[in-house]
Amino acid sequence: MPEKLKTCAQLYWQFLTFGSFTFGGGWSIVAQMKDLYVDREKSLTDEELLDLTSIGRSLPGTMIGNIAMMFGHRVAGFIGGVACVFGMITVPMAVLLIITTFYTAFQDNLWVASAMRGVRTAVAPVILSALMRMIKSAFKVPPCYIVAAAMFALYFFLRVSCVWLVIIGAALGLLICEYYERVKKINVVA
Amino acid sequence: MLLLELFWSFVKIGFTSFGGLSMIPLISSEMISHGWMTASEVSDIVAIAEMTPGPLGLNCATFAGMRAAGILGAFVANLGALSPTFTLCFLAAIFFEHFKENKKLAQIMTGVRPACVGMVAGIVIELALVNYSDVNSKIHLPSLILGVVDLILLLKFKISIPVVILFSALIGVIMFGVIGV
Repeated sequence: MPEKLKTCAQLYWQFLTFGSFTFGGGWSIVAQMKDLYVDREKSLTDEELLDLTSIGRSLPGTMIGNIAMMFGHRVAGFIGGVACVFGMITVPMAVLLIITTFYTAFQDNLWVASAMRGVRTAVAPVILSALMRMIKSAFKVPPCYIVAAAMFALYFFLRVSCVWLVIIGAALGLLICEYYERVKKINVVA
Repeated sequence: MLLLELFWSFVKIGFTSFGGLSMIPLISSEMISHGWMTASEVSDIVAIAEMTPGPLGLNCATFAGMRAAGILGAFVANLGALSPTFTLCFLAAIFFEHFKENKKLAQIMTGVRPACVGMVAGIVIELALVNYSDVNSKIHLPSLILGVVDLILLLKFKISIPVVILFSALIGVIMFGVIGV
């Protein structure tokens, strides 16, 4: 048991350092995992990391949280996974708690409010630019465009809850793949 | 009770989001419908979460939780957002070999990914409508121009997101603070 505890403490620390240097998405953590576990420690292969990543992406929740959980579980069971996840979020959470405190205190200050008004003009462009990168992997077959357009309309005009939209998207995904397999004899996900 | 509501909100957000970006429309509708935040504040979270280390979705949870119910709220929101990780993903880790070959999962994602694109496109327009208008809901031209400049910096000149946000903050101070447009 002390051995396992030591492993968990080590995992916690490693993911704490990974978590301190990520900006935006979780991909920089995947890069740091590759650097440490694949290239230096050689305790993980490239292919295994790729498997972790692709499953992590296909499960609900934060991609990198899922990857951390599965990696930690591999090394030291459930507790190992929890150690990785909590390690990863410790620093970002502390930083954000401080910032949020200041934000709340100075929200109405003229200079802070002016800066935030400027920042808000950047938010739609920032999300839009990230969306452009997402688009490449999102449209595997033409009907996917119809799914995107329909979900947009349901979300924006009819105010359908996002929970339903994701469930409908999942059902349509199964339907589309099944159709391509049976009628067109094409395996979409291969 | 507030903590429980917050937790449940983020459980819903966690289980129906795939990747940080797709969390934004979910967080926006949950926060606004509960009255925990305004549309402008949702924009602020996205900007702040992009500027600080850590995954976008969890940073949003920390900010939103803290705003709604203090530090405890931040913890609870994070736990909620991570609930699929501690349950579904834990199962996936146990049956890893089985999951690796699972075709159904990839088929589901074939539909979920474009659905997320549609929702995120919706939230972009929603936030743009709020951020580029003045108090009387008329288009505020200086804001719109700054937004277009930001988009060009991001897409054409490939300037990194934190730099573009800092740039906008600086222009904001000059435009709204000094000049007072």
